[in-house]
Amino acid sequence: MGIRLYEEPELENPVLIASWPGIGNIGIIAVNYLRQMVKAQEFGEIEPWDFFEPRRVLIEGGLLKELEFPSSKFFFQRTRNRDLVFFVGEQQPTETGTQYPGGRKVLEMANLVLDVALRFGCRRVYVSGAALAPVHHTARPRVWAVPNSESLVSEVKSYENAILMSDVEGRGGQGNITGLNGLLLGVAKKRGLEAVCVLGEIPIYFQGLPMIYPKASRSVLEVLTEILEIEIDFSILDKVVAQVERGIGNLEEQFYQQAPPEVAERIRDWLESFKSKPAESRPITEEDQKWIKEHIDELFKREDEGDDRPL
Amino acid sequence: MTDLFRFYRQPELQNPSLIVGFSEDAGELAPKVIDYLNEKIKGESFCEIEPSEFFSLGGVAIENDVAQFPEGKFYCGERKDLVIFKGSEPRLERYQFLQTVLDVAVHHCKIKELYTISGTISSIAHTTPRSILTVFNQPEFQEKLRGYGLEDMNWEGWPALNSFLLWVAERRNIPGVSLWPVIPFYLAAVDDSKAQKMVLEFLDRRFGLGIDFSDINEAVAEQNERMAQLRTRSPEVDNYIQKLESNLTLTQEENEKLVREVEGFLRRKD
Repeated sequence: MGIRLYEEPELENPVLIASWPGIGNIGIIAVNYLRQMVKAQEFGEIEPWDFFEPRRVLIEGGLLKELEFPSSKFFFQRTRNRDLVFFVGEQQPTETGTQYPGGRKVLEMANLVLDVALRFGCRRVYVSGAALAPVHHTARPRVWAVPNSESLVSEVKSYENAILMSDVEGRGGQGNITGLNGLLLGVAKKRGLEAVCVLGEIPIYFQGLPMIYPKASRSVLEVLTEILEIEIDFSILDKVVAQVERGIGNLEEQFYQQAPPEVAERIRDWLESFKSKPAESRPITEEDQKWIKEHIDELFKREDEGDDRPL
Repeated sequence: MTDLFRFYRQPELQNPSLIVGFSEDAGELAPKVIDYLNEKIKGESFCEIEPSEFFSLGGVAIENDVAQFPEGKFYCGERKDLVIFKGSEPRLERYQFLQTVLDVAVHHCKIKELYTISGTISSIAHTTPRSILTVFNQPEFQEKLRGYGLEDMNWEGWPALNSFLLWVAERRNIPGVSLWPVIPFYLAAVDDSKAQKMVLEFLDRRFGLGIDFSDINEAVAEQNERMAQLRTRSPEVDNYIQKLESNLTLTQEENEKLVREVEGFLRRKD
């Protein structure tokens, strides 16, 4: 189990920006977009076989040419204001025997990522993920920022469109971040590194749906670029955001046209309630919640499960 | 963590090759071939892999009315040049499992070559000339086995456990080959003696085992006869098999019907 570095770039006080796939792939889209925009160069990887199952084999002319695993790669770039190290994991290790991130392997992976960060002098880590929130999909997603030490709280408060957990309605500063996007914060804390997790808001009704939510990735990127003092071109991402927005709108319209009127009206009312501030949302009974949950999946269900297009 | 494997005794071996077969296989090919080989060489288990790290042991699975328990055993017999591993496919920590198989094989048995066995299902008729498709992990080993009538495989997709094992072996510089005899899809859930015989013939030739094939020849002849009986009884089945013999494709419905008819008939006879 180990790290393979193709080169040892000389970096000055770099920061690490890391992400793995998660809900709506919000974090990983943001980090990958930033990595591509600054033209970061790959310089290493975590060897995958202890963490992941192979996902593809290539056999040609009776010879086993390639066994492909999910990758876990490091990139670097020197920018005008600071040097950057990126880590992008294609998959999170799962708890033995389950499909969920967790267990010994996620801890091992978190430590390997931080081993590389420390080796190149990183003292600050940014991780990115998703925050399920009672918000409407037409709203601009906010960014929940979670630091791993009190000394970072005032800094985090200064980020535009970012809020602390205590600012999230009804949370009282409590919550949890599942998977490696959260665990890295804790492991960084244990190893004496400052870290902040930036989580883009995604409507709770998208939970469990196989879709991307790039609008929240954009919010995360706005925060990250502000922190890192980097200017990037958002136009490519904005096209994807617009495409996904159109897709959601079209599905919504189709659903309202095809669903029985009473179902359509109830869903419409429920979705509309997210347009008001969460604290002002009308009360909703458990029975209502159950009924709506059963129908909301129909609304955003993809027609072709094999299609990789957003929504 | 418990010890990953347990030796009952240290076998006497000389430059052995390792033959691997997993229990879950099309046409029960691998377990049948391994059992047949073990019988011929009077193989006895000398080591086993402990299941707790590689299987969920919250209970037992029941198959064909019988409670099962995962196994992973190494065998050797009269021949000092053969080690056989027969096991259940691990459900957890597959890389670690394969490493453990090779740890035993390399450090304790000093194997020089690896052979894995598993059936591959195809839309062919049982009367069509069969082949063994092969995957090698080193071109030199592939060259070495030219002349055995093996056919090169081409494939891209989800990797089988045997492909994973070949890859792990290559990382340890162990030459290996996966043998994939072709099995007609309608025999995949029942016995396919012909495919078993093809693999055994290859192994017999490769290792000079001097196997008397009369029993398996009888099994092949019996299977052919039973299939002929079925074709006589059922013009529909005969028609489907004729289509396959003419390289024509069956519809999904025809495929399913053929599978049902063949399985039902062969099992009734059993």
